[in-house]
Amino acid sequence: MSKLTRREVIKLAVITGAAALLPQQIHAFSEILEKLPGFQKNPTKVPPPVKGARYGMVIDLGLCIGCRRCSYACKLENSVPDTISPPYIMVLETDPMRFTSGDLFNKKFEEKNRVNYTRLRKDMMYMPVQCNHCENPPCTKVCPTKATYKDKDGIVLVDYSKCIGCRYCMVACPYNARRFNWFEPHVPAEMVNPLVPVRPHGVVEKCTFCVHRTRLGRTTRCVEACPNKARTFGDLNDPDSEISKIVRSERSLRLKEGLNTGPHIWYLTREKSKPMRWYTPLPPPANIRGVLG
Amino acid sequence: MKEMISTLHGYATETIKNTGRNFYIYILVLLLIIGWGFFNYTQMFITGHGLSGLSDVVPWGIYISGLAFFIGSSAGATIIGLLIYGFGREDYKPIGTRAVLLALFCIFGATQFVMADVGVPHRAMKVPFFLRNETSMFFISSSSYMGFMTILGAELYFALKVTLGIGGEKAKKIAKWLGILAVPYALFVVHTFTGTIFGVVIARESWNTPLLPIHFIASALASGVALVIIIAITTSKLKGKQIVSPETYHHMGMLLGAFLTATLFLDLTDYMIILYGGTAEGLETWHIISRRFGFLLSLNIFGMMIAIGILITKWGKTENGLFIASLLCVAAILAYRINLVIVGQLVPLYPELGELQYIPTMPEISVALAIVALILLLYSLFSWILPMEKKDLKTGTIH
Repeated sequence: MSKLTRREVIKLAVITGAAALLPQQIHAFSEILEKLPGFQKNPTKVPPPVKGARYGMVIDLGLCIGCRRCSYACKLENSVPDTISPPYIMVLETDPMRFTSGDLFNKKFEEKNRVNYTRLRKDMMYMPVQCNHCENPPCTKVCPTKATYKDKDGIVLVDYSKCIGCRYCMVACPYNARRFNWFEPHVPAEMVNPLVPVRPHGVVEKCTFCVHRTRLGRTTRCVEACPNKARTFGDLNDPDSEISKIVRSERSLRLKEGLNTGPHIWYLTREKSKPMRWYTPLPPPANIRGVLG
Repeated sequence: MKEMISTLHGYATETIKNTGRNFYIYILVLLLIIGWGFFNYTQMFITGHGLSGLSDVVPWGIYISGLAFFIGSSAGATIIGLLIYGFGREDYKPIGTRAVLLALFCIFGATQFVMADVGVPHRAMKVPFFLRNETSMFFISSSSYMGFMTILGAELYFALKVTLGIGGEKAKKIAKWLGILAVPYALFVVHTFTGTIFGVVIARESWNTPLLPIHFIASALASGVALVIIIAITTSKLKGKQIVSPETYHHMGMLLGAFLTATLFLDLTDYMIILYGGTAEGLETWHIISRRFGFLLSLNIFGMMIAIGILITKWGKTENGLFIASLLCVAAILAYRINLVIVGQLVPLYPELGELQYIPTMPEISVALAIVALILLLYSLFSWILPMEKKDLKTGTIH
């Protein structure tokens, strides 16, 4: 066999190197283009992050009665279509006397789910779950396009103009907090919040900590809607904020802390107070895809 | 180049003249399957992925299982190039170009599974260039698939040049180095990163293991070699003559047996550790895999056991035995991929969600079948009109 000449080896190396670096070059070129007038993309319009803030939420399970008012309020505030079910906030009915899950002989696993409850039980705990706006979010790491990102104030957001709908973030989220637009969403015009346009089908969305409100100094809609004031939202970096005081002084837990995601939602594990009001729960989310029962 | 095109044109014209009606019927059937799947895909593109059985609790289904399977088969098929050029096994040469074609179209098919799965496919095409996140295993994998397709395309080009006797020693040398380079790239870049897509997901206990990429490599080698054996035996039957010697089949059988044994060992230890560890997620995984997915689990474990059993007996040295063992191997590894991808998500992230379900719908199945048909169509057409070995040039007939 004839040997390749030095010139041919160099040629091959240059071609291979250029091919390997091509995506990088195109990307760099596109970044330069984006800076030119007339080429700017139209990113998802959200107010800029508040300087020095780090938002979080506390949910007092002793005050939560599972009425689903937070879930419905969130749905309206964020123009969430009916095709997204459950909405961003899912309320779970949990049995405090359940010792293990996953037992081979544990028949409870076969039971109906605890999302579709229609009446409230005082012997049960109710736990709303949603996006935890993690300190170390697995979803932002896995997103191939940086469509999902963590902003400076700790809020994890989705840029719908970049999302390709691969759903890797949904698979990677340990909290089942993300929703995919399985169908073209239809929200009646009078129910669309003009500050939160409806997202197209094929992209992922989730709780934004009502970024359109909170960055303008208001609180989240779910906090406002809770009849028992079980939720507290605020700036964790402000030592005088109510949330900072609660997190420092109360016994709390965060979901799946062992995964080191650093959730920004704390759950207080207090007993239910006796004079608390019990409201009739709003109907369970209809047609939850993939959940039996 | 001109010389190459004119030789290929002459060969293709001669081949087309000598092709029987059955081949065209076979192509028509494949086209019908592709048409059916394409129609359903356009429906899904217009209406949304709600037409599939996927959901917010089980976001990945048969498309991602297909991706994992075909990436594996593609990576495994490259081993033939290493045997020919790295280990000097000249007896593998008649199936060398076929293995490259198979690998190329398997990886192409795998990328089509991704395109079928994503919600905004036209935006997904920008991923390696305009939209990128270097920490995402999806991004790294998709970039590696492009590199792999380039290597395989170049390998095919130079392999054809060698077959046509154009390009001389230089073409042989480049084909040789590309053939050798393709194997570590396929195994340690392409397939390792595909395994890592699942392995890095801390939310799913059954995926989150550093052994997953190794498991993927072992099963890729097994499924790749099995597919090459199936292709070799089928082509021999269609041509009515042996394209490789019985000794080569025997060697391929031994390789398949070794890769299958490694995969089975990893499978069994995986299940043993899940059961012994007794974590909630682990036991729920076992609960689902052994009951609701019991058929696939049996196909995975017993399929591999029976295939190994066939390969170590005399029957495994015959073409029929080897063919059945290879089919069982492909089915067992496909079952493993489906079990891994789907069962991993059926374990509820909150026990209160109860039992989760994923049942692929007919439109979804039709799209998956269409992609498999597309891989078969491309392979069949290219292996038909391109000379796969020097002998073909003399006859100009295959089918």
